[in-house]
Amino acid sequence: MMGQDILEHLKKTSIFSGLTDEALSDVARSASARKVAKGDILMKKGEVGDSLFLIQQGWVKIVTEDSKGDELIINKCGPGETIGEMALLDRSPRSATVIALEDAEVVELKQDVFEKVLNQRPDVSLSIIRSYSDRLRFSTTYIEKAIDWAQKIAEGDYSFIDQTQPVMSNAKSDDDKATQLLSAFFTMVRRVKEREEGLKQQLEKLTFEIDQARRKQEFEEITSTEFYSRLKEQAKALRQKRLNE
Amino acid sequence: MKGKIVSIHSFRGGTGKSNTTANLAAQVAMAGKRVGVVDTDIQSPGIHVLFGLDEDKMGKTLNDFLHDKATIREIGFPIGENASGAAGRAKLAGKNLWLFPSSIRGREISQILKEGIDFNRLNEGLQSTIKEFDLDYLFIDTHPGLNEETLLSIATSDILIIILRPDQQDLQGTSVTVDIARSLDVPNLILMVNKALPKYDFVELRKDIESKFNAPVAGILPLSFDLADNASNDLFSLSTPDHEWSRSLREVAQAVLTLG
Ligand SMILES: Nc1ncnc2c1ncn2[C@@H]1O[C@H](COP(=O)(O)OP(=O)(O)OP(=O)(O)O)[C@@H](O)[C@H]1O
Ligand SMILES: [Mg+2]
Repeated sequence: MMGQDILEHLKKTSIFSGLTDEALSDVARSASARKVAKGDILMKKGEVGDSLFLIQQGWVKIVTEDSKGDELIINKCGPGETIGEMALLDRSPRSATVIALEDAEVVELKQDVFEKVLNQRPDVSLSIIRSYSDRLRFSTTYIEKAIDWAQKIAEGDYSFIDQTQPVMSNAKSDDDKATQLLSAFFTMVRRVKEREEGLKQQLEKLTFEIDQARRKQEFEEITSTEFYSRLKEQAKALRQKRLNE
Repeated sequence: MKGKIVSIHSFRGGTGKSNTTANLAAQVAMAGKRVGVVDTDIQSPGIHVLFGLDEDKMGKTLNDFLHDKATIREIGFPIGENASGAAGRAKLAGKNLWLFPSSIRGREISQILKEGIDFNRLNEGLQSTIKEFDLDYLFIDTHPGLNEETLLSIATSDILIIILRPDQQDLQGTSVTVDIARSLDVPNLILMVNKALPKYDFVELRKDIESKFNAPVAGILPLSFDLADNASNDLFSLSTPDHEWSRSLREVAQAVLTLG
């Protein structure tokens, strides 16, 4: 595999986004190409990850298990996509299993090799710290917004959907989990709103007709009595009296 | 004159007059007003139950007053000093709220029905109740329909609240009451819908009723099993303030407070 090729792909990986070409080629040099056969397991859920994979050729599936223990495909990744980039910097267990769907070629960047690059090149370290901090800021901002929106939804105020959409499409890194969460959030709110409007429309309309002839007749039956005439007089006098008090 | 007489009326029985009257009076008292509640449903009194007053505790009644056997002072039962036994009612402790109950003794009921009520005597009673207790509002719970004592309470009221259920029969009957209220020059007429099925469009319903009667609908209160279950011996708007019924009831109370 061509070094230039690897370099181009690495550039698209968000944690490397701030690196100069020169710095990036140092990183690219420490990576190694690997061939995998169909069915090979690249990483296993729960195992501690210590490398990043860059897919050169072929497709892999990212899977987990559902509650019954059956395989559940979360995603598929192909040429140019990176998986497991976080493993270069921390040592947490893999969140899913990755299996090759066909014979494929990947570039692997090992954590220990990568750390050597970091030790030698403070500019690479700094750039990576910056890209992380950017990400964190981005996530925090949107988490704060999501809290605010959630409160609005609870009050039945959906106006923010229309006001906020432009910001969403400007989100800078497409692969950012915060962006994914927000787009899922917005889809949810839109569906809830639609369903609510649907329900409102299903409300039944009640209409009545008053029988005016009957109304008049009943009114006359009551008001034509001796009692009523006297009451009307007394009420009139009473109101006058209370007015004067 | 200061105190306002607020009558609560409905064309048919069981519409929710007693519950509404008791809760409205409680809300207005909670707002710091001096409030009285008179049960003029002498044929089938019921509101005392909502205030936790039973036969043992009941002293002199409206019937005694009408027969010249008691003064207004004697029949006023201070709810604020007897606010216990139920969670909602307990909130009324210390409030200025009095109930003027109607007798629940069969003999006394049939006696007064036979003799009829003297307009002047009842009227005199209502006026002196306001004066002697220095009331801001006197609420009157009535017997359904348009019999003589109900007509009488309509005639003396400053504010008439007509409660109706959203159905053809109630709307037809209410139309006659509205005409009577106008004929008797009642200064303020308010409509209130109770027992509305939640599946109906309340906004449309309000518009329709307001345009038919040319009078404001101060609240549309839903039919609620919670209320049917819990309202028989406590004040629902105090025990369950966050319920939609209670919220709408407070809108009606607000309309009353705004008028006087
Ligand atoms: N919105 C409602 N939803 C469900 N039940 C209700 C509602 N309003 C009142 N009720 C119930 O309906 C019954 C009648 O209520 P209430 O006694 O207040 O009516 P009323 O008009 O005073 O009756 P009456 O004409 O017999 O004096 C009561 O059992 C009460 O709990
Ligand atoms: Mg009643």
